[in-house]
Amino acid sequence: MPEMKKIVLTPRGFSNIPIEAPVISPDMFAGKTLQEIRNLPIHYGNEEVPMKEYIHAQGKVAEKPEKQLIVIDGDARHIKQIGTKMSAGRIVAQGWAGMHLGAQMSGGDITVTGNALDWAGAEMKGGVIRVLGDAGNLLGGAYRGSSDGMTGGCIVVTGCAGSEVASFMRRGKIVIMGDTGDFTGVHMNGGEIFIFGKPGKRLGAQAQGNGGFIACFNGADELLPTYRYDTTYTPIFMRLYLKHLYEKLGVTKAQQFIDTPMKRYRGDLAVGGNSEILVA
Amino acid sequence: MSFKHNGVEIEDTFAEGFGMWGSKIIITAASQKWADIAATSMTGFATSVIACDCEAGIESRVHPDDSPDGRPGTTVAIYGFSRGKLSQSMLNRLGQTVLTCPSTAVYNGVPAEEADEMLDIGKSIRFFGDGYQVKMRMGDGWQNRQRFWRIPVMEGEFLIEEKMGAKKAVAGGNFLIMGDSEANTLKASEAAIEAIHTVPGVITPFPGGLCRSGSKVGSTYAFLRASTNTPFCPAIKNSFKESKVPAGVNSVIEIVINGFDEASVMKAMGAGVDAATKVEGIKWITAVNFEGKLGKFQMSLKESLKGA
Repeated sequence: MPEMKKIVLTPRGFSNIPIEAPVISPDMFAGKTLQEIRNLPIHYGNEEVPMKEYIHAQGKVAEKPEKQLIVIDGDARHIKQIGTKMSAGRIVAQGWAGMHLGAQMSGGDITVTGNALDWAGAEMKGGVIRVLGDAGNLLGGAYRGSSDGMTGGCIVVTGCAGSEVASFMRRGKIVIMGDTGDFTGVHMNGGEIFIFGKPGKRLGAQAQGNGGFIACFNGADELLPTYRYDTTYTPIFMRLYLKHLYEKLGVTKAQQFIDTPMKRYRGDLAVGGNSEILVA
Repeated sequence: MSFKHNGVEIEDTFAEGFGMWGSKIIITAASQKWADIAATSMTGFATSVIACDCEAGIESRVHPDDSPDGRPGTTVAIYGFSRGKLSQSMLNRLGQTVLTCPSTAVYNGVPAEEADEMLDIGKSIRFFGDGYQVKMRMGDGWQNRQRFWRIPVMEGEFLIEEKMGAKKAVAGGNFLIMGDSEANTLKASEAAIEAIHTVPGVITPFPGGLCRSGSKVGSTYAFLRASTNTPFCPAIKNSFKESKVPAGVNSVIEIVINGFDEASVMKAMGAGVDAATKVEGIKWITAVNFEGKLGKFQMSLKESLKGA
């Protein structure tokens, strides 16, 4: 990791009125003066205000986004769109993060030490999001009306995730260490989802295929009847992914499943799909 | 002109190398035994492009900790006269010898950033899946992008990387070990091969790395384009006028080396010559060339020994 310049953002208290701050991004901060950053426009409800009114900024500004580290020190659950469309650099939210965290981002790294609310990593194209708490609904999902959800990048959630995780996913990787809500991987057409807890109902509903799969390492209580059981085997490709999870993302639990046989289900036949659900 | 190394006379000459296209793959399997079996099958009948479709050999073994899927593996290098021929040989050989071998998977051994060209090997082999093959993606948007194909087979599933890197390479590094007896010459040759295989990135495509029947271009028979290397056959050294077999030499073995670059081949030549000259009974070392008329690379024995 290159030496980064750190800006610390401190929310000035909690607000029931949401703040929309897509400007909290290394791309927006880099190359500006601290004064310019403090005056970047955010939305407080339907009102446009300078960021300094609700978020205090202090620290050093980098010339290039890839060298910019932004630390959010405090509860930011009311701040939406943190890191939206970012392409490089790093954001660390020490606490919760609001909706649309890292949505449509194409690069860089976001870590949230608490929970991330709905739509985190929505339509993400690249980069890595780590949520050390729980994630909300539509993690890595597609916005309503869009046919493409996540098309690249990686999301790792240490806790659980809500419903419709990875809806319309095309490529990329999502790892959930805990449970997921219903409709995980709904409409997915590519991409990889690893669930180390229990998945919710209607897993992979209307999934198309294109190499996409959902791997469940703690079983799956209920699968759609439109998924057909093929075989129980120990696929080589899963070793590659699990090794990757351990080596690149530090998912130590992945190691214990390297030689675990998995049941292979293929579907969703309701839409003529050839996506896979692999259940350990 | 000659010089001495470890007390053995070395002719001050050069090996004439040719430009070829090379590729490298890593075959992993459930055990080292099966990785070796697949690699040995794949590199069979690939000693010389005189009569084989390619030249190939086993480069090294891969420890599970260093292999892409954490299983034991074997690295195979393969060389062809053109990208097209190399690609065709790889396809045929992978399809018939590795795809068929239980538990194997195949990974690219020449990363895209080092390759001159990426060959669509896995992408072509995928058609064996008859429509049930599955594309596998890794690293999109956050790591190096990789593509694989999963092909259903009777045993389970065959995994192969979509593209294999190929680069312009050097073939035909060589030297001849001349000894007082067959036994000593073979012993020295074995020592040379052992030393050569400590150099990364080279292969010795002949059986066990050794060629006892080096050839020359042409023949007294019009229908034959290569024949025994008469100047270096001790059995006719006093019958053949232009014999180059020195007095006291009764056996000659050739070692041919291919590598991805001239420096590696030279280093391997030096390591081999150095090891061979330490064996008792070795009288002379020389190299085969065509006076620089045919090959692009001239690899001097003297230069090769500088690093030895």
